[in-house]
Amino acid sequence: MNHPNERRAHRWMLLALLAFAPTHACIQPECASPDYGNPECRVLAENELARLLTAAGVEVRFQEPGAAVASSWAATGLVREPAAGTLALRVAAPGPFAISLQPGPMPATLQVTLENVDPAATITAGPPGAEVEIPGGVLGATSRSFALTLDDDRTVWIRGARPCPPRFRVAVTADIQTNPWQFERIVDRLIVESQAAALAGEPLVGLVIAGDLAESARDDEYEALAPIFARVPFPIAVTAGNHDIYRPRSPQYNRNYGPGNHAFTVCDVHVAMIDTGSGTIAPSVQARLPELLDRGGATHLLAAMHHPPYPGITGSGWSREDVAAQVMVEFAAAGVDLVLAGHNHALRDFPDIDIGGGSLREIIVGTGGAYQGLGVPRYGYLRIAFDGDTMTPCFVEVEPRGLDGPAGDPLGTLAYCDP
Amino acid sequence: MRPWYWTGVRARAQLGAMLIVPALVLGLEPLGYGSTAFAKPGVPRAGEPAPAACRRFAAMCCQPGDEACVRPGPARGLLLGLSALAGAGAAGILFALGDRLSNGDPAVLLVGGGAVAGVGAVLGMVAARVSGDGPRLEDRVRRETLGLGMASAGTRVLGERNPPGMSLRVGPTWWFDDRSRLRLLGEVSGLLGAERQVDPRPQLADAGASGAGTQPTALSRRRLGFAFGLDLAVGLPYPVLRRSARLGPAELRYRPEVQYRRDWITLGDAGVRMVEHTMLLPLLVGARWHLSPRQRFTLYVGPRFDIVSYSALDGRSLSRGKPEIAPLYGEAWYDIDVPLSEHPRRDGVARRAKTTGMLSVGYVHSRFGGRGLNVGPVIGFLGPVHVDWILRVRPVGSKVAAQLGAGAIIGNGFAVTGTVGVALPDVPRRPRR
Repeated sequence: MNHPNERRAHRWMLLALLAFAPTHACIQPECASPDYGNPECRVLAENELARLLTAAGVEVRFQEPGAAVASSWAATGLVREPAAGTLALRVAAPGPFAISLQPGPMPATLQVTLENVDPAATITAGPPGAEVEIPGGVLGATSRSFALTLDDDRTVWIRGARPCPPRFRVAVTADIQTNPWQFERIVDRLIVESQAAALAGEPLVGLVIAGDLAESARDDEYEALAPIFARVPFPIAVTAGNHDIYRPRSPQYNRNYGPGNHAFTVCDVHVAMIDTGSGTIAPSVQARLPELLDRGGATHLLAAMHHPPYPGITGSGWSREDVAAQVMVEFAAAGVDLVLAGHNHALRDFPDIDIGGGSLREIIVGTGGAYQGLGVPRYGYLRIAFDGDTMTPCFVEVEPRGLDGPAGDPLGTLAYCDP
Repeated sequence: MRPWYWTGVRARAQLGAMLIVPALVLGLEPLGYGSTAFAKPGVPRAGEPAPAACRRFAAMCCQPGDEACVRPGPARGLLLGLSALAGAGAAGILFALGDRLSNGDPAVLLVGGGAVAGVGAVLGMVAARVSGDGPRLEDRVRRETLGLGMASAGTRVLGERNPPGMSLRVGPTWWFDDRSRLRLLGEVSGLLGAERQVDPRPQLADAGASGAGTQPTALSRRRLGFAFGLDLAVGLPYPVLRRSARLGPAELRYRPEVQYRRDWITLGDAGVRMVEHTMLLPLLVGARWHLSPRQRFTLYVGPRFDIVSYSALDGRSLSRGKPEIAPLYGEAWYDIDVPLSEHPRRDGVARRAKTTGMLSVGYVHSRFGGRGLNVGPVIGFLGPVHVDWILRVRPVGSKVAAQLGAGAIIGNGFAVTGTVGVALPDVPRRPRR
């Protein structure tokens, strides 16, 4: 008879080996029991939130800008009906957009508010061939309200696009988290730059925020940001960061901003926004990368996400480095001109990352206000100026209150912008 | 006014703390514990210095079976202190400097390594209480010469497939003396089939995809990998410093290594892309500290360089990349040998085999394999945690031993691992340590 310790050990070994036995008892459809820490569940959420059946039976769907039929939809915005007959449609990003409204069995009149649209955009609404232009709103306002009547069975489309000169700018920042006050100062600077840029014929057409808008993914944090976002005189494109998604019970990020995975083309640049809040991306999004990174006719191609796929030795990388490498391969294959990220609360520039013999450039701009520890923080945003075939990034430092000048120095490969 | 029993409760609690806390901190064995092979409290080895504490606690005595004195209690106490210093210091630096630290990766490595050192030291104390600190096991668990490993994955998602991974491992060893050796490390691994992931977007739901739910396949992936390296261990003189006398011998290690993965990824309808990811660890160095004849702490750290290569969609040739600086690579392990057949059988019959076990707790500071430990919003900083239990069974008189292992990898979920292997005679045969 063996010693009891030996017998016990052998029993445990047997149990451990049984763990390999396949089991099918717990199989469910993806996200049938949602865990929004799982990026695939956020894919489901962002697509569910891009359509809505209103109280009057109108099927409202965000579409790809060029869509002509309403049989499907795309996660390019957020639909809400805060009260019966009232629609709030948040467009996810700058650039052209389309929304379809399929009437219900009864005529309906909806009070529509479009949010996050360019004040310079031309917006039309109506059935194909009978569109009417929606007049512009208040100067600098990114929302427009109007009434829409659906009195026959034709699908009504709301479409928008803005005219673009050959020279334009895009601003980028990330990581607001605990410091929306500093982000307000950044917004102040963006408003001033927007006006000066418009006068110079080089409009600022969008702000990209690469995640971590909130510290704890709470509604009150997003509510505090809403009036700040409302002051930005051009559309904002956002994606989720790790601080936006780690509460698994509710997709608060998606409920407030819509999709984290989407792509848009504004003027001559195509931007793919990728939700890496979980330190990886959803496999279904990885499968769609060639589609999201399809620049179409745009000259420039950017990819923005929260976790930098190439972290160097910052320590702020992906939880799945294998997927990060595969994603960088897709970037290299698509010819991405610039990878934008946050997560590291700093300004970093990796100008020449070798992927398959080609070169990728990645800029980390986690300078949106989040805590940067001891020492004088460097806050601000990246300005990317586009002029025909050229793209020039530079950094605008927005020093915290109390400092009389920039706290940081330009990076060796990334200059500070001229005022 | 305190109740009448308050004084008694507090006094008992104080007494309990006085007894339990030192015992846990130093892993001390109370008087009268242990078999005849163990160091006995109050009976120091002949010729060895005997601190006063040795008269009461075995862990403060020199352990038998080693040529030089090792006192595990102070050694574990020192490791615990160092781990607290490293972990707390690194965490403090990270919090103080925020996430803006440009080279924050070493601090994260220190957090993980320090945690394993601390947890290991505490486990070591418990193990010392349960099975003693010595003597050294003659045939302890080591890397098997030839082994087969499996890592379960599994999925609970309808229509998806997440096959287990399998690996074939070799680890022949050349011994220079009883404390120095060179080991060749080799591994070929892969997934036992294609991983399949579905697209959950509701607008794509296809009721015709019977048997697999309505969610169409979005991505599938096959994987093949290999790793090879050399592991050189050189025992240092003991004590290497006057102040380290009786704290246990140490080894220096050098383990240059290459790890390689090739994935065939089917991206929806776009086609199949080959992606190669290679990790080069040319300067991976480490140290092992024998805190007791049965317990070891091992640490590796080194720079890492990654090469990423890929093919065009449906292409067969690869565009080769060049090495890029990648996050630091590191490992920290705490190993505890557990004798399972040192006691005679109850029926008095001679044992047909000797069985020893080893409990390993480790942290690997690398997410190269796709696993990283995320806690709350702390996502993308840490590598996985490993817990392994390995058995070595050697029939009496046999030159070959069997090794069976079971364990878990914690990071981006949970994987159960298992290994089966054989330990062949070392070349040349040397006394085992």
